[in-house]
Amino acid sequence: MSLRNPVARTRIFLAAAFCSCAALLSGCGQDKTWDLDNITGIVSPLAFSLTDDAGRHVTAETYRGKIVMLYFGYTHCPDVCPTTLATLSQALSKLGAAADKVRILFVTVDPQRDTPPRLKRYAEAFGPEFIELRTDDPALRQLAKRYRVTYSLGKPDAHGNYEATHSSAVFIFDDKGKARLMAESSSSAAAIAHDVQQLIGGA
Amino acid sequence: MLLKGVSRKPLLWLAAALCMAFAGLGHAAGSPASVEHARIRWLPGDLPLAGYFDLTNTGPRPLTLTGASSTVFGDVMMHRTVHRGGETGMVPVHDMQVRPGQTLHFTPDGYHLMLMGRTRMLAKGDAVPIRLTFSGGRSMDVMFAVRGADMQ
Repeated sequence: MSLRNPVARTRIFLAAAFCSCAALLSGCGQDKTWDLDNITGIVSPLAFSLTDDAGRHVTAETYRGKIVMLYFGYTHCPDVCPTTLATLSQALSKLGAAADKVRILFVTVDPQRDTPPRLKRYAEAFGPEFIELRTDDPALRQLAKRYRVTYSLGKPDAHGNYEATHSSAVFIFDDKGKARLMAESSSSAAAIAHDVQQLIGGA
Repeated sequence: MLLKGVSRKPLLWLAAALCMAFAGLGHAAGSPASVEHARIRWLPGDLPLAGYFDLTNTGPRPLTLTGASSTVFGDVMMHRTVHRGGETGMVPVHDMQVRPGQTLHFTPDGYHLMLMGRTRMLAKGDAVPIRLTFSGGRSMDVMFAVRGADMQ
């Protein structure tokens, strides 16, 4: 069961990659150290076709040249989603003016309730670098599969409310759309800011 | 008979006084519990919100937090965010026992009050009353500060 989730699988890939490369690491010539999980070469490059919170069609090309943080969640999520976005917001604050080189893309796993107007208000609550994106099935399933993200919607209660379970990973792509790092809800703003600063610097 | 009735009255008054002391405990000296850092993360529209706080049992006996309610929300539930190997979800929480001297932390990405069905508009800077209820029919009214969406 645990192998079906992206974090566990990525960790196994990372462990395997580490073991096989351990002997070569000293010769890599890279002196950058990362606080977050390094997913370079493990996770697919940024690619999608979605609708943004202003109702525009956007693709990965739209954000080329920006460091992109990709997160899957839903606006009716009261705790972990806004907590994660708040941490990303704090990380951006630490970057100062360089925050403009970053875009946080929040893909809703609940497109039925997360209409563009709702997503727009949600994005505005966190800051100008936040962009909420949506698509319907089967495109959403295909996108999630690309990043080994799983999600499921619960059964509605008497009031029609329902919850979702979803991956808590934040995938970070460099300005060329290459997957580089992965953060989680427990990652600190300082760690995220540190690593994103290195990516902005061309690491 | 009469004597018995009279002798009971002080006990009733004492019980009432204890109940009132407990209901209003907040940070009053000698109260069996105190709450700090009571806060709500604001989100737009009618989205469910999360409430967080630190509850310390300052009394000599265990306390059992059984739930919460508020006139500002149609439904208040105790929840816990759980991570199972990269998947994140929420599970309902029912009775939470707090030992004497122990502090129960409701914090982001953990235990939280899930606040649904706002009965009025809320904005950053507002204060919202929430009643925490304990076993034995006891309760405690706490003011929660409404913070911004990017609250840590």
